[in-house]
Amino acid sequence: MPIYETLSDRLTVVLDIGAAYTKFGFSGEYAPRCIIRSEVRCKKTNQVRRIFDFKDEQDLYDLLVDFIHTLYFKYALFSPKDKPIVVVESLLSPTLFRETLAKVLFVHYEISMMLIVPSHLVSLSTLGAETALVLDVGYIEAVAIPVCFGLPVIHAWQALPLGAQAIHNNLRTLLSSENTGINQLPETVIEDIKVRCCFVTKQKRAEQFNLAKPDITFAPEVKYPIGGSDIITISGKVREKVYEILYDEDNDHLSLSTMILDAILKVDMHLRNQLAENILLIGGSVMAPGFKARLKDELHKQLKYERYKKLRIKTFKFHSPPCKENYAAWLGGGIYGATEVLGMKALTREKYFLENRLPDWPNMRDNRTL
Amino acid sequence: MSYIVSPDVVKYACTCGLLKPISCLYFCRYCCELRCGFCVCHEVDSHFCGKCCENLPSSEARLKKNRCGNCYICPCCQQELSTRIGSKGPSNPEDPKSTPKKMYYLSCLYCRWSSRDVGIPDQGAATGGWPERENVHANRLQEVIEGYKAFITAQRQQKEREKKKQRGKFISYTDRTGVTAAALRKRIGLPAEVPNTYYRNRPKPPEVAIAREEVEDFPEDLLTKALNLMEITTIDQRLLQPDLQPTTVDKLFPIHKQLSIKRSLRCRSCEHNVSKPEYNPNSVKFKIQLFAYYHIPEVRIVTVEPLRAGKTAELILKFTNPTQHQTVITFLPLDLTDKGGDGDREVVGETQSLNLPEKQPPSLGGQPSSLLSLSSRQPSITIKPRPIRQATNCSIAIPGSKVILPPRDDAAEYDDSGETHNIQDDTKLVVWRKSNKAFVKLAVTPDDGLELNTEIVAGFTMQHIYTNTIATTVENKEPDRHDHNVRVFLSLGNLVGSE
Ligand SMILES: [Zn+2]
Ligand SMILES: [Zn+2]
Ligand SMILES: [Zn+2]
Ligand SMILES: [Zn+2]
Repeated sequence: MPIYETLSDRLTVVLDIGAAYTKFGFSGEYAPRCIIRSEVRCKKTNQVRRIFDFKDEQDLYDLLVDFIHTLYFKYALFSPKDKPIVVVESLLSPTLFRETLAKVLFVHYEISMMLIVPSHLVSLSTLGAETALVLDVGYIEAVAIPVCFGLPVIHAWQALPLGAQAIHNNLRTLLSSENTGINQLPETVIEDIKVRCCFVTKQKRAEQFNLAKPDITFAPEVKYPIGGSDIITISGKVREKVYEILYDEDNDHLSLSTMILDAILKVDMHLRNQLAENILLIGGSVMAPGFKARLKDELHKQLKYERYKKLRIKTFKFHSPPCKENYAAWLGGGIYGATEVLGMKALTREKYFLENRLPDWPNMRDNRTL
Repeated sequence: MSYIVSPDVVKYACTCGLLKPISCLYFCRYCCELRCGFCVCHEVDSHFCGKCCENLPSSEARLKKNRCGNCYICPCCQQELSTRIGSKGPSNPEDPKSTPKKMYYLSCLYCRWSSRDVGIPDQGAATGGWPERENVHANRLQEVIEGYKAFITAQRQQKEREKKKQRGKFISYTDRTGVTAAALRKRIGLPAEVPNTYYRNRPKPPEVAIAREEVEDFPEDLLTKALNLMEITTIDQRLLQPDLQPTTVDKLFPIHKQLSIKRSLRCRSCEHNVSKPEYNPNSVKFKIQLFAYYHIPEVRIVTVEPLRAGKTAELILKFTNPTQHQTVITFLPLDLTDKGGDGDREVVGETQSLNLPEKQPPSLGGQPSSLLSLSSRQPSITIKPRPIRQATNCSIAIPGSKVILPPRDDAAEYDDSGETHNIQDDTKLVVWRKSNKAFVKLAVTPDDGLELNTEIVAGFTMQHIYTNTIATTVENKEPDRHDHNVRVFLSLGNLVGSE
């Protein structure tokens, strides 16, 4: 019996390790079993360490061993040995990270086979679509990659350090100007303030922010309790302004909206309108209230500029995936993992030890149709 | 037993190269090697609910998505919810004599959240019937998954057919590299208009979702209404229910409690268990517990004189023999290059250039019964030990004489007669002994030129005679005794200034 026929009733783990949050669950299920912070508690110092703050390869190996142990024995509750895994990964994931992860999975946890799928591509499977522009706003960066007929157009990719990390830093700065002791607050508190109090404001209001005398009343302020004794004030101005860094153009006139348009510009003429009418937004940061409405307004605003007039785009259309955006890529991996692709394309343990290398996306030899 | 949690001043080097206190180490009696949580293979042994202690077979646990059907946790604070009796109205309003009917609701005793807060009706039965919520996208997702499955299966069958057709024929360059012309067209951004049979015959992928121009409207409320923080969920509360991620507290619903597991640990070299718990969740005992604490002499620091750079200080260590057999301790200088055991075994190291070990799957003969059920199990890969990273900055004068440790005798603890086993000790080395314990005096010298307050670490190799009772076969009545070396590291405290 071919191996892929026995796989269908096997439990296949789907893993998406993000810079801030890790999505973990089983293929064929509609949502991940858990979304947890990508961090482990160091046994020696008892301090919480982020996986992506690793010092060197050995350090990353040890962090991943601890982290994956937690995933399997606290959440999945089954032994990883001789079981397959689907890893969802960004096309821009650093080589050191992907190779160390493969080493941990194959050598330490002795998994039977691993299928690495690119996050931008597999997110599309949640829509059943083959062509779309995918914008992933994660923790460290925002990455836009057009996918045409099931293949990521890698040369058109756009990335900017506009993600949750930048928002958190901005929030800290804004709060510090009105309160004291903000710099001592851990990032989890900053994140909580962002998630519960802040939102993406409307374009018309944002235009007023830069005027000398803004003609608007800011949203009501929020009293936010810190540690049960202190209270800090989060003014309406902070609540509205914190997300503006995503849309303010930097010195090179780059922002979230220009990323999308620049990515479309790099694709063949025939496909441009189709991409503009198939935009998929994924990543935790796009779930902020008002995010999508604002992005749409910004895109239309950019169209008026000379740089994008030649695109001749009239409308932008957005997909709403059948899930929460922060696990859309995971869900895509889960859909792939439920099919026979696993048996056909996965890297087996035997092959891993034989070839001692991983398939790489830009590598033609490995880039067969997924 | 406070030393288990206290700072680890005495560490043993595990075979894998990590340093651990003896309470964290295992001793595989089959390999005669130390093992630790890092270098053994962890396996899930049994699933159980930590609240109601129900044991679930793994297939049932999988079906229930690793959650207990009866126990719930609080969606606010993750504590366990208790079932409470609510209203007690008569079951039949017309007949006041009918027995009162109990109604139940769930309540958190920790944060006062209750199922009534979110409008879940009270239930007539204490054991549940609580409403379960389905993923709102379930139908669409089912369709997508089924569609992809069929699509990929057809693709594979098509490829197999093509392979059969092409067999023996000339293989074109593009096929050999795995890039079909159609794929190449796509790669360079051309539309795949190729009227290829491959594309015509494939089944339809799931219906494509329609993108819309309209997006979620900006929530105007945010600009005018004051925000009540108590109504907004935190990110942790949201992520507790990944498919729903409720943003307001009125959408928090009780969550089935996640199951716990018992783990067994298996030596990766010989596939024997070094730890296996009893199946019953109420039992904290083990079927197999090869803890190093029961097999390797324990070293503890008793006293150490103040340490000064270049000056010799007196160190008193206590050695305890935990086994039922007499042992002899020999001191050897620390050898960090020593790779320990596993020498003749194929190992996978940093380079990973070696093939998988060609071990045979466990056969029925001569294997412990615990392996019989695991016929599909592949043999483990042995990982090359790491070099020990701990540096020492203090020398120990290695004594020439040996220390004999009598076997452990639980009764001797209550014996004050001071019976001495008639051991001829080197009095310069052994300062005091009682039953299976001995106090040993050593001279340590911190390296010259160390700065004040430097942490002083010394190390030595402890050779002890290990009596293996497992290897004793019927024809060989003599227990197998042989030397076993353990590298021990002592954190002796910080360097102090001159007198
Ligand atoms: Zn070890
Ligand atoms: Zn239970
Ligand atoms: Zn609670
Ligand atoms: Zn062993």
